[in-house]
Amino acid sequence: MLPIDAAAHSSRWRRRHPVDKAVLGLGLTLLAISLPPWPGAALVLLTALVVLLGPAGVPWRRLWRAYRVPLGFCVTGALTLLVQVGGPGGFVSLAGDGPLRAGELLLRTSAASLGVLLFAFTTPMSDLLPRLVRAGVPAAVVDVALVTYRMSFLLLDSVRRVRDAQAARLGHTTRAAAWRSLGGLGATAFVRAFDRAVRLQAGLAGRGYDGTLRVLVPEARVSVRFTAASCVLLAALAVLTFVLERPLT
Amino acid sequence: MHIAEGFLPPAHAAAWGVASAPFVVHGVRSLTREVREHPESTLLLGASGAFTFVLSALKLPSVTGSCSHPTGTGLGAILFRPPVMAVLGTITLLFQALLLAHGGLTTLGANVFSMAIVGPWAGYAVYRLLRRYGVRLMVAVFFAAFVADLSTYCVTSVQLALAFPDPGSGFLGALGKFGSIFAVTQIPLAVSEGLLTVLVMRLLVQSSKGELTRLGVLIADKQARGETEAVAR
Repeated sequence: MLPIDAAAHSSRWRRRHPVDKAVLGLGLTLLAISLPPWPGAALVLLTALVVLLGPAGVPWRRLWRAYRVPLGFCVTGALTLLVQVGGPGGFVSLAGDGPLRAGELLLRTSAASLGVLLFAFTTPMSDLLPRLVRAGVPAAVVDVALVTYRMSFLLLDSVRRVRDAQAARLGHTTRAAAWRSLGGLGATAFVRAFDRAVRLQAGLAGRGYDGTLRVLVPEARVSVRFTAASCVLLAALAVLTFVLERPLT
Repeated sequence: MHIAEGFLPPAHAAAWGVASAPFVVHGVRSLTREVREHPESTLLLGASGAFTFVLSALKLPSVTGSCSHPTGTGLGAILFRPPVMAVLGTITLLFQALLLAHGGLTTLGANVFSMAIVGPWAGYAVYRLLRRYGVRLMVAVFFAAFVADLSTYCVTSVQLALAFPDPGSGFLGALGKFGSIFAVTQIPLAVSEGLLTVLVMRLLVQSSKGELTRLGVLIADKQARGETEAVAR
């Protein structure tokens, strides 16, 4: 299992309905990209961090490991805003408002990423996917996504074992051997995925498979109190941003 | 590399979502039709999605010595066709956003457009074109994977340049800046992905002829050869 999904399964909010967590987490993300970066995104960033590390109980080390991935892209992308091409300063020169734009972009992406991470760290994919049918996603697509999700872990595990076996047989000692091993790894993943699908199909056919995958979804109810509190928090953040915008700018 | 959460302004994020929607809807319709006619396809399509997800998680040694991940869009398009790849790519990108924190939900439309639509279609077009003119299978596979990878990152650069035009030279200057970071540096990685895809395809032709025939790759291969022979005659 991947670290974020493993954390979601043991989260304090695991039993909450995904809608509760979507309103809060994705609401924070929407606020982060739609409010002025200063002070809006900064307030969202702070709130998301407090909720993640406090009530949601996500360990900070796990959060940092997941958070540094989008941060790498954001920093690389933001660096380009520091320079400008052409103009009176020469072919390439420092952009006058570059640091401000880069800072605002970093604030916005950081806050928005934390909002999605709040949702991801508290909602296992197995709780979310079956409920997408009610949200209007065609059942066939949800079924394919469910099989993809369940098979991904098995395949990732197989690939890890094959890689270990290749390393034990000196499959990564030279560049040519590494390439050969990598090709074998990709091909093995394909063969194992299809072999597993065929065996799964045979097993399901024996149980009267009619084309619909029926899975048990843990029962949960949308909490009116939690959702209302989330909406109040989001509204308060929006109001606070507009109140503080002028004095802090 | 996917565009991170919140990186694009809301209007751009929504516009790329709207641009991707027709392709994804078309793919969903093809997939739903396929599943209705052949219920067992659900499992094979799920396996294909898992394969695409795992392929994008493999570590790829670059010819410059660095390390990256393949997009898998070229191989996916050859094996599963671009309309199905639009759906599988969207599912994979959703999983990557929620399970790996790669990409994002607000930037899903933009990432789908570059990775699940333009990449597969460009790679598949090159593959079909080269096969039509009698180019050998493995050479066509290499160029399909190379073009699919590179076109994905070129579109990402265009998306970023449109969102953040350069203060001095506008869109073109920004395209130069983002292209030099996200597209030019990708050329050696695209070569690496092309080589990896050839190695995978060579092994698949040896070990999984049944699956390749079921997916229509080897039939398409024979057809392409037949068409070329007919043209030559």
